[in-house]
Amino acid sequence: MNPQHLNASSLKSRFTRRFLRALTKINAQKPISSSSPREIFQRYGRIKAAADKSMANSVRSRRTWSRAMLWKLRSRSYRQASSGRRSAVKTSTTTSHQAIRKKTNHEKENKPTKTGEDQVGFVVQADELRELVPGGEAMDLCNLLDETAHYIKCLTTQVQVMKKIVDFYSL
Amino acid sequence: MNTASPKMLQCSDMTVLERQNACLKWQQEQLQQQQQQEQQSYFSELSGVFSSQVQGFQGGLVSGDSVLGDMVMTRQVKPDPGLETAWHEMEKVDMAAMGFGPCGYSNGPDFDMNYAISRTSSCPTFVAAAVAAQAVEVKGKESIVSEKMGSTVGRGSFKKRKVDTLQNSKVVAEDDSKRIKACAEEGESKITGPNTNKSSSSNNKNKKETSTGTSKENSKVSDVQKPDYIHVRARRGQATDSHSLAERVRREKISERMKYLQDLVPGCNKITGKAGMLDEIINYVQSLQRQVEFLSMKLAAVNPRPDFNIDNLFAKDVFPSCATNFPAVGMSSEMANNPPYVQFNPVEQVVSSCGLEMGINSLDMALRRTISAPVSIPYASFLDSSCFTQIQPSATWDVELQNLYNVAFDQEGSMPFPSQPFTGTLLEKQNWGPELI
Repeated sequence: MNPQHLNASSLKSRFTRRFLRALTKINAQKPISSSSPREIFQRYGRIKAAADKSMANSVRSRRTWSRAMLWKLRSRSYRQASSGRRSAVKTSTTTSHQAIRKKTNHEKENKPTKTGEDQVGFVVQADELRELVPGGEAMDLCNLLDETAHYIKCLTTQVQVMKKIVDFYSL
Repeated sequence: MNTASPKMLQCSDMTVLERQNACLKWQQEQLQQQQQQEQQSYFSELSGVFSSQVQGFQGGLVSGDSVLGDMVMTRQVKPDPGLETAWHEMEKVDMAAMGFGPCGYSNGPDFDMNYAISRTSSCPTFVAAAVAAQAVEVKGKESIVSEKMGSTVGRGSFKKRKVDTLQNSKVVAEDDSKRIKACAEEGESKITGPNTNKSSSSNNKNKKETSTGTSKENSKVSDVQKPDYIHVRARRGQATDSHSLAERVRREKISERMKYLQDLVPGCNKITGKAGMLDEIINYVQSLQRQVEFLSMKLAAVNPRPDFNIDNLFAKDVFPSCATNFPAVGMSSEMANNPPYVQFNPVEQVVSSCGLEMGINSLDMALRRTISAPVSIPYASFLDSSCFTQIQPSATWDVELQNLYNVAFDQEGSMPFPSQPFTGTLLEKQNWGPELI
C-alpha cells in the first residue's frame, strides 16, 4: 500500500498527538479496570479538560478562543491546586477576563463607531454565541463570527479524532 | 475557461478592457488552482507579499477596513471548494461577454474588478468596457501591488473588486458614469459581500486621476501612498456620513463571515436571514460541544489496554494513510513472542489498510474466523490497539479479553457496565455530580 503523506503539522495531527499523550497519562494514573462511577466521572472531567487543552494548544495563541480556553483551563487547574483558597479563584477569573479583553482589544484594529444598527436583530443570538465560544464575551460581532468559524472547524476535528480513538479503545 | 478564449478572440468590438477581463479570468483560473492550497501557506504568502510590497498597504492592513485586510480575511475565510465551483460556473457565463486581451496588461485587481463587474449579470458589457477603460488609466503604481493582490485574493475579493471597478468606471467615464453608477448600484445591492474593501488601491488611483467630481461615488480606499488613511465614499443615493459608511463596511464583513459559516455548518443552505443562521450556528456549536463531552465520557468509561503504544499507533492510524513501518514493527515483536499467531496477517492487513473503519471490520472478521482459538482471539482483538508493543502474558489478558469478547463484539464496542452510568448520566447531562455520587 502506498502510504499517503500526512501533513505532519496539520491541526488534526497536532491535536491527536497531544491528546493521546494526555490520555495515556491519565490512564496511567489510575487502574481503570474497576472504576466506580465516581472515578469514571472524575476521569471524564480530566479527559475532557485534556481534550480542550490539547486542542487549544494545537491552535496556540493565534486565536482568541484558544487563548481564552487556555486561560480558563489554567485558572481552573490553579483553583484545584489551591482548593482551599477562595481568593485564588476570584483573582484568576477576573484576571482571565481582563487578559482576554486586553488581547482582544489589542488585536482589534478598528472599533465600530456604531454597533446598534447592525446588531439590533441579533443581539440575543450574538450573546448566546458569546457564551458558547470561549472568550467571546469581549468581541464584537465581526470577530465573533470569525472566531466561531475557526472554533467550529476545530471542534469538528476534535470530534472526529475522539470518535476514532473511542472506536479503537473499544475494540 | 479556456473554451471562452476563441469566442473572445472572435469578438469584433473587443475593447482593451474586455481583453483585460479575459486576462483577468485567466488569472482567476490560476487563482482557483491556487486556492486549493492550504489557507495558511496562502496567508503567509499573502502577508509576506504585502509586507514586502508597500508600506502603505500595511498601514491599510492595520486598519480593519482596508482592502488588504479584507482580502486577507477572505483568503482566510473562504477556502471552500463549493464556492469555487459556483464561481467557475459564473465565470463561464461571463466568459462570453469578455474579450481576450493582452495579458501583459497586468493590473490584477483591475482585471478582477472588471471580471467582478461582468459577473454581476446586471451590469452590461459596456459597463465592463468603461471600467476597463478606466482601469487602464489606473495602472502604474498599483500594478505591482494589484497584481499581487489579484493573484492572491480569493473570490470574495472579487466581489469587492466589483464595487471598485464599478466605482472606477463612474469616475472615469463621465458620460457613462451615471449609467454605470446605476448599474453599480443594482449590482451592489445584489451583492452582500464586502465590496467596498477591494477598491482601496485602485480607487486611490482613480481618485487621483479623475479628481473627485462625484462625491456620491462610493468606494473605500486605503491609500497606498498615504498609510493609515481610509477614504470612504458614499454611494449614490445613500447617506454620506462617515457613520453609515463605516457601518456598511461592517455589515458587509459580517455578511461575508456569515456566508462562510453557512458553508461550515451543515444544513444551513436553506436558511436565509441572519437570525436563523445564527440560531443554527448556535445549535451546531452546542451539539459539537456535547459530542465532545459524550466522547470523553466514553473514553473515560472504556477500558483501555495497558501498554498502549498509542502515539505510534494513532499517528499512523487515525489518518487515512498508514505507515509502512507499522506492520513490520509489530510483526517482528509479535512473531518473536507468539509464533502461532493466526490472526496476525489479517490484522496486519487491517492495520495497513486505510482508515480505521476498515480495520475494525476486518479485525472483526478475523476474530470471528478464529473463534476456536480462545487465546489468540482476545489477543487479536487487542492487536490493533496494542499490538506493536510489549506482549502481555496471555493469562492476564484472557479474562479481560473474554469479557470484552463476550460482551462487546459488536461494532460499537461499548461495554455494558460502563454504558450504564454512561447513559444514565447522558440523560441528565446537567446533573453529573449528584447522580454519580
